[in-house]
Amino acid sequence: MRAVVKHGIGVFNPQGFLDGNSATSLLSVEDIEATVKLNADMILVSLKKVVFFNRNGLDAFVKMFAKVREEKSISVGFCDYDTKKFKAIQNFYKNDLNFSLFASQEIAALFSQSYSEKNQNVLLYNNDKSQRSAMAIELHDNGHNPIIAQTEEEFESKKSNESAYDVVIENSYLGQMGQNVASRVTGNAIIYTISSFLDAEIGNLFNIAYHNNSLNVGFRLFIFDAYKVISMNIHALNFFSRLASSAAEYNATICFVGLSFEKTPKEFKETLEDAGIMFFDQMENILGDKELLEELGASSAAVIKNKRTINKVTVAELPSFVDATVSTIEMMTNSKALKEAAEISSINIKNPANMIASSIGFYGDMDGMVILVFPEDIAKKACQLLIGENTDDTEQVLDTLAELVNIVGGKVKSLLHDHKVNVNITLPRTYPNIESLLEIAQDRKGAQVDLSFDNDKFLFFLTR
Amino acid sequence: MITKEKINAFIEKIPPAPKALQATLMFLNSGELVKAAQIAETDLALKSYLKNIVNKPIYGFRNEVSEISQIFGILGVSSSQQTVYNYMLTLLSPKKWELFHLTELHFHDLQAELSLEWKKILNHLNIENDDIESAITLFPASIIVAEALFKEKKNDVDILRSVNNLDFNTILTRLCGVDLFDISEKIAQKWEMPDTIAQIVQAASGSKPSQNDQINTLGKWMHLLVFFVLSKPLFIEAELNDFIEFQVEYVQDIYDDFAKLMEIQ
Repeated sequence: MRAVVKHGIGVFNPQGFLDGNSATSLLSVEDIEATVKLNADMILVSLKKVVFFNRNGLDAFVKMFAKVREEKSISVGFCDYDTKKFKAIQNFYKNDLNFSLFASQEIAALFSQSYSEKNQNVLLYNNDKSQRSAMAIELHDNGHNPIIAQTEEEFESKKSNESAYDVVIENSYLGQMGQNVASRVTGNAIIYTISSFLDAEIGNLFNIAYHNNSLNVGFRLFIFDAYKVISMNIHALNFFSRLASSAAEYNATICFVGLSFEKTPKEFKETLEDAGIMFFDQMENILGDKELLEELGASSAAVIKNKRTINKVTVAELPSFVDATVSTIEMMTNSKALKEAAEISSINIKNPANMIASSIGFYGDMDGMVILVFPEDIAKKACQLLIGENTDDTEQVLDTLAELVNIVGGKVKSLLHDHKVNVNITLPRTYPNIESLLEIAQDRKGAQVDLSFDNDKFLFFLTR
Repeated sequence: MITKEKINAFIEKIPPAPKALQATLMFLNSGELVKAAQIAETDLALKSYLKNIVNKPIYGFRNEVSEISQIFGILGVSSSQQTVYNYMLTLLSPKKWELFHLTELHFHDLQAELSLEWKKILNHLNIENDDIESAITLFPASIIVAEALFKEKKNDVDILRSVNNLDFNTILTRLCGVDLFDISEKIAQKWEMPDTIAQIVQAASGSKPSQNDQINTLGKWMHLLVFFVLSKPLFIEAELNDFIEFQVEYVQDIYDDFAKLMEIQ
């Protein structure tokens, strides 16, 4: 059994009856290894479709949690259960509850730093005072507004006012939280969250491959949310200096927000400033200032120092990329997908109105980026299998388009592997309009292929 | 990936029930076990299947049972009928399973386990009805249909399921507007199985509750039973556990009763 990763949260979905025998069969050694390698900042096991479990059944997953945490400092736990199941888990692991429990995935997402929705009004109650405080702190750190009920009566009374809260937290427990450098995307800026004492370990906790690919796909502003950093040592200083040098090659900017120099040597600040890193007191000072954002590169990715162009290696593999796209569309729509025209050029979108797009990067033996551009209604049609119902929710269509391009990426990876070319794929990115796509793609040369299914046209673009 | 044409071609290829089986069932229906056994003896494959299935440890007979008349006598009319239907279904099952990690023997184990537990449930519910007892035999048809339709698309399905937690039934419904159980119903119609069988199995899919209270209740029990059996290591390793979506809410009101009956602690 494998976890499905969405918005940085990997979720296992076992179903039926979970005892010692069944759980061991559900999770092979390979499954556990694959989970450790996942690019997720939270791993959860959903109990929504589990009608019965016992301690032995949960133990297989708890062992996996331990293995995951041994290798990566991310949050792990169970989710999607009712009060009866919650009490049973608490009872099983009374003195040994070192994983988290979230009554729903919606609640879990509030504690994930990758979750894009911020400023949620959250009512919370836990009869353990230290849990109440821990939850409130985490929620606050993640940009939400926690409202803590001090007693069960107060909680029940507040809860009855349904419209007052976006999310109500009960029957939940915070185990050890993630310590990885979590990342989230805000507009065209990437925000990394760092905390406590920064030392040589930052090199392990920071996902450098993700960062490099973000540079490759056009991100130009990287903000380190450093409110919770207590101090840093020389190893961390060297790490950030190196990061700043590599960012300079792309004309990218690195900023620190909220870093206090009470316990960090003042001269470190000068060294980092010399390396090109900027310092701000408040996140709003950057994100709320459009002019500054533009200056720092977050509104446009056009100023790229070393523009990379599509090369022979990439063009030679173009058929694999097109085949992966065509077969994905055919799989999703049951229609024949046709290649209509192909050329090497800058991206050329004839009717940009109501178009949406998604992209996925790849890196390894070769690197680059696949972009798919659809009229919104055609995207809906292409994603019908995944959406399952008619929807006018653009956010949902974009989300599903990300899944579609993720499938294309998976197929590309497998087709290239057959040609003995090994690549990894990045997380997919979506663009709600053509302007946002052009910010990263307009000056890039690439291979453009016009494709269609059921006479509905869409565009494929492969670039570096 | 899967088209309506492919589904139609699959339905088209379902062979009619062999004459010997039709005759065996006819005699079983009228309670004439001896005549039914005489006909069944002429079909060597059926004879071999009946011997193998009845001598499985799960049936708990101390001595080997080898004569068909003896087998029918021990099983009684309704269980004999059920076993013949189970055999009919094996005529559709592949020699080599590709999508699911099953063998012919494991599939027989699944049939036997479902049949015995279903009988236990019907006894508990005080239901004595040959057609209802035989209903469980059609459920595994959905597994055979999934194998036949998806086996060449395993890689596609794996990639699809790596980004979205979809079961085979949902994929098929979204692509073609019919599900595994609609196709199973077509099999039942082609083999002239009583309508009740298909109705119960449709309800047991968990996604199409029946308007008929009795059929709906039986559908719930069957849905839960299927997941009880598919949660056993053998069938989890065969990747059968998530071939359809388990509808926990659908079975919630009978769960305690079920757990008591199956002695789940």
